[in-house]
Amino acid sequence: MTLEQASKGSRVRVLKRASGHRFASSLDGMGIHVGDELLVVGYAPFHGPILVEIPSSGVRVALGRGMAEKLHVEPVEA
Amino acid sequence: MDRAREDAGLPVIALAGQPNCGKSTLFNALAGFKADTGNFPGSTVSYTSSEVVADGRRARIIDLPGTYSISPHDAAERVTRDYLLSGKADVLVAVVDASVLARSIELTLQLLEMGVPMVLALNMLDEAERKGIDVDVARLEKRLGIPVVPTIAIRGKGVVSVVSRALDMADRPSLGTPPIYDRDVEETVRGILDRMPGGLADGIGAPERFVALRLLEGDPVIEEVAGNADPEFLRFALDERKRLAVLHDWPEETTLSSHRHAVAMDLFEAVARVVPRRKMTLRDRLDGVVMHPVLGLGVAGAAIASLFLVAFLFGDLLAGVVSAPFESLLEVLSPRASESFIWAMLRGFVEGVAGGVGIVLPYLLPLLFMMSLYEDVGYLPRAAYMVDGALHRIGLHGKSVIPLILGYGCNVPAIMGTRILETPRDRILTSLLVPLIPCSARTVVILALVAALLGPLYALGVYALNIVVAAVAGRILSSMVKGSQAGLLMDVPPYRVPPLRSVLKKVWFRTYEFLVAAWPILIVASVIMGILEYVGINNWMNAVLRPLTVGLLGLPEAVGVTLFFGVLRKELSLILLFQALGTDDVAAVMSPAQILGFSLFVTFYVPCVATIATLVREVGWRWAGVSTALNTGIALAAAFFVRVFW
Repeated sequence: MTLEQASKGSRVRVLKRASGHRFASSLDGMGIHVGDELLVVGYAPFHGPILVEIPSSGVRVALGRGMAEKLHVEPVEA
Repeated sequence: MDRAREDAGLPVIALAGQPNCGKSTLFNALAGFKADTGNFPGSTVSYTSSEVVADGRRARIIDLPGTYSISPHDAAERVTRDYLLSGKADVLVAVVDASVLARSIELTLQLLEMGVPMVLALNMLDEAERKGIDVDVARLEKRLGIPVVPTIAIRGKGVVSVVSRALDMADRPSLGTPPIYDRDVEETVRGILDRMPGGLADGIGAPERFVALRLLEGDPVIEEVAGNADPEFLRFALDERKRLAVLHDWPEETTLSSHRHAVAMDLFEAVARVVPRRKMTLRDRLDGVVMHPVLGLGVAGAAIASLFLVAFLFGDLLAGVVSAPFESLLEVLSPRASESFIWAMLRGFVEGVAGGVGIVLPYLLPLLFMMSLYEDVGYLPRAAYMVDGALHRIGLHGKSVIPLILGYGCNVPAIMGTRILETPRDRILTSLLVPLIPCSARTVVILALVAALLGPLYALGVYALNIVVAAVAGRILSSMVKGSQAGLLMDVPPYRVPPLRSVLKKVWFRTYEFLVAAWPILIVASVIMGILEYVGINNWMNAVLRPLTVGLLGLPEAVGVTLFFGVLRKELSLILLFQALGTDDVAAVMSPAQILGFSLFVTFYVPCVATIATLVREVGWRWAGVSTALNTGIALAAAFFVRVFW
């Protein structure tokens, strides 16, 4: 599944990032790597961005839906 | 290596770091009232420089745009990289947000590979401490092979020693220890280095190892240079990259960055101890409301409402105080303006000065203060998050909301503010919509004519109509402006209690933009207007505009000159109208329909000359023309509808 489909409050692990050097390098810059765990904090209204937290650093990042669709994740059991 | 030096042999110190790491704050602490900073990722796009003195030694400091990496993917990254490769910097100060050290280290490692003598400013140590991150500075120094200076830039701590350590480094340059990757990567790098044509790295201005690593990472700019130098070599390097990717079963474009991530994590674990603090932080609780899909909208609404409330209340108060002396001065000047050319020009000049300080500044200052406060507290990115979805529907970006709100104060700094948007398309689109936003000059008209004569509800209606029109225009324009719309990928910074000084500095910086970019144009336009009036162009102008004013819009003939001059001086539209009608009792000579039609026309039509000049500078002649045509078209349509349907 993609991050776009992850539900609020769930923890997911990044499996794969859609190809594209630019996308990969922006995610690297934000601190989101393959294998990292993400906590889905919430959604903005009007089909807006998704807010995720990288639990290891506490950093919060907002991703637009288009971006979230390009991030493949798997659920992590708590 | 002998590096070229900028002016008068002063050592050049370049600041680089990730957006929102406190780089500009550090620069400001050193440079005084010069650079713009914000708690908004990516506030610097072109770079700022300033001369500073630290411990009696002088240096030139360059504040480069914040970048997440040195890949040449966006404008900011390119500016930073080109500057560092140009060899103009004697020392590079990498500014790192210690509270997100793990991810900041990756950029630090990339910078180390560029072969510029370097000092690390370990910033926001207080925030790191609060998060339970304890950094072993001595060990970090040893691992990186460069001086590490702990700083808390926002309180001025450590900033002088950063410069002084950097100047020591300029005197006795040395290079740090670039990261060593795992064996496969290192072997591949060696293979590429063996075949690298001589002179390639020197031409780029970087060490050979940097060039080899960039080729492995997939850097289009370096690939092109290498391909031009030796196509055979480039093909070899690309094959090696593919081989490495297959070996590790990783996508080609992330092979090296994954290795770097591993090195960075390893380094982070070696130098930092993390003691997780209490589970639910204040930020989490605040975000639970501020970024809640429903409650958050309420917060955004309240934030915007209080912004305008403060702007109007203080603006009204300030305007009254400031304009009084100008009004008495003009009372003396006005009767003489018809006597001679000089008096006419003088009156124009005083009116121009008065318009800036008496009408625009009083509303602009409180608005800028509120915006700067929201920005430094960390609310703006959250507001952008809340409205991104809605703004996407009209082709805009969550971040566009900032310039649009600034537009209510003055369109000029608002258009300059579109620089925070990433793609040219987003910048152009937002710049075209800003002139539709009624700035303080037009607000004066709406308040004095619509709110006072027709009722406050009508004034609210004008604002609501304005937003609807801007949304529809955005929707239509977004299908016309080509280029990609940046998807949102935005750091949401922690909340901060900003020192008042830092907020005021930002207000000053943006006000300075108005004073330098808009005010002189207003004054010149006002002098020209004084002359035209003296020459007696009014009647002629009214006659020329008669088909438009009387014929199409059903307004009194006398307002023609008001509309023409309003292009030069929008904030004078109201006074001009009083002059043209020969009374300030507008309701006595104009019908409600005419008042509404006139006000709508003024609200929408041609941006003032200062705005047009700014548009030309920021997005070019063509788009400035489109904007002017768009505004005029909408103004005509709106005023015409009022005439027909009232």
